[in-house]
Amino acid sequence: MDESSPDSIKLPRSTKGTRPSFFDDPSMDQMMTFILELTTEVAVLRERQDSLERLLDERGTLSRADVEAFRPDEDGEAERTQWREAFLERVLRLHVPE
Amino acid sequence: MSADIEAQFKPTHDEHARQRFVSMLRKHAILDMTQKLKARYDESIEPQLQAEGRSPKSWRDISKAMQDDPVYRFYSSTRYNAQEMCFMSVQPTIERNFSDLKKTASQAAAEATAGGSLTLDPGLELPSYVTRLDIHLAPGYTHREYTEDDIASGAVVAFGGKVFTGQHPYRRSYGAVGESVSYFVDKQFPDLKPKHILDMGTCSGKNLVPFHDRFPDAELHGIDVGAPALRFGLAYAEHLGVPVHFSQQNAEQTRFEDESFDLITSSFFLHEVPVVATRRILAECYRLLAPGGVMVHMELPNENAVSDYENFFWNWDTRNNNEPFYTQFRSQDPAALCSEAGFSKDSIFARLIPDYASSGVEVADACIAGDRPTPPHGKGGWFVFGARKER
Repeated sequence: MDESSPDSIKLPRSTKGTRPSFFDDPSMDQMMTFILELTTEVAVLRERQDSLERLLDERGTLSRADVEAFRPDEDGEAERTQWREAFLERVLRLHVPE
Repeated sequence: MSADIEAQFKPTHDEHARQRFVSMLRKHAILDMTQKLKARYDESIEPQLQAEGRSPKSWRDISKAMQDDPVYRFYSSTRYNAQEMCFMSVQPTIERNFSDLKKTASQAAAEATAGGSLTLDPGLELPSYVTRLDIHLAPGYTHREYTEDDIASGAVVAFGGKVFTGQHPYRRSYGAVGESVSYFVDKQFPDLKPKHILDMGTCSGKNLVPFHDRFPDAELHGIDVGAPALRFGLAYAEHLGVPVHFSQQNAEQTRFEDESFDLITSSFFLHEVPVVATRRILAECYRLLAPGGVMVHMELPNENAVSDYENFFWNWDTRNNNEPFYTQFRSQDPAALCSEAGFSKDSIFARLIPDYASSGVEVADACIAGDRPTPPHGKGGWFVFGARKER
């Protein structure tokens, strides 16, 4: 890698090997990557907002550094885990009978 | 004590959120969508095949029937993307913290306060089955190096592996398999009391380190062809105060002397190499074991041990997770492989063992003794096979 030096590194974002196609049109495979990455970004944004709200509840005011450093306690993390699970259930709703 | 290399991995707020979410995405694909896929098969695909007079006679028939099904396609696509994202989600954190990660690993190797060691072999020819493609869709897998004394690929596999297992009900404990196998060995072979243990394809030793807790007097050796994973592993073990001797060696032909070990293990290893290499590795185990020594390989259940549907499910990885030897390995009879390697037939075993962390001692003992059924592989149990060398 050109940009790597002894103390800094740039890692490849793709893998060696043949990428399988699961759909008749490979554009659909590409589209799934877009959708899942976007889904993940929505979850990340939602989590940032959740951090904001929890900090505001606690302190009434805050700085960007507060948000950056914030990690929820065990209960907060459990709530987030539940939300992530339910969120994925909604977004990736398969066409199958319950 | 050496500094904690895992503490040098400092994700930003959003990287942390992304990693946690990808754990859930991976769990959603591998557990939730898998259940729906099975229901889809049972309730519509199989009945339809039957109605058409084409009842599936093998896992290949099931696989063929599934290819055009939309539920299968979206399940597969989600699972594939989630797998890639496990590793991608940790790459930016590793790039930003690279200097500290590397420094911690170098210091751990230089100080070796726990008494471990690292022996690299820069001249070792990496087998083509390791370099030809990136196993598990992990860019660089455990071996690719970008700079001198590199640990990046080891870090990607270690931290990405934690994202991968983060929501898996039976893999929350980092060395869950090592904990389970070491407990099984202690119970099943109470007279063994191993003093020299070798773990093949050890990567960063996460399933070797638990053997220290079970057998504190044993000398632990871990071999792998991937230098970055070994460097990372030494730092990991040293911080825990566990002396591990890591060395860069190919398990098909090691530099150890005959009868060097009384216990040889591996986890999730043999299905990544061609069967011809597995045969050489098992013969090497036979050579390396002292009389009365035991080998235990934790592996995927072989084809004859599970249903056609499960074979279809397991063999998905062959084509879709860069594990080209997976189906070929699973089609072998583990007992025949051990027998060909020189082990006597009555010493060979192939069975499920309980997941130690989730079952607790009482249930684990009952499962090992055969007094209660062990849950299936990956669902509270692990499949192992092996043998004991004659005394």
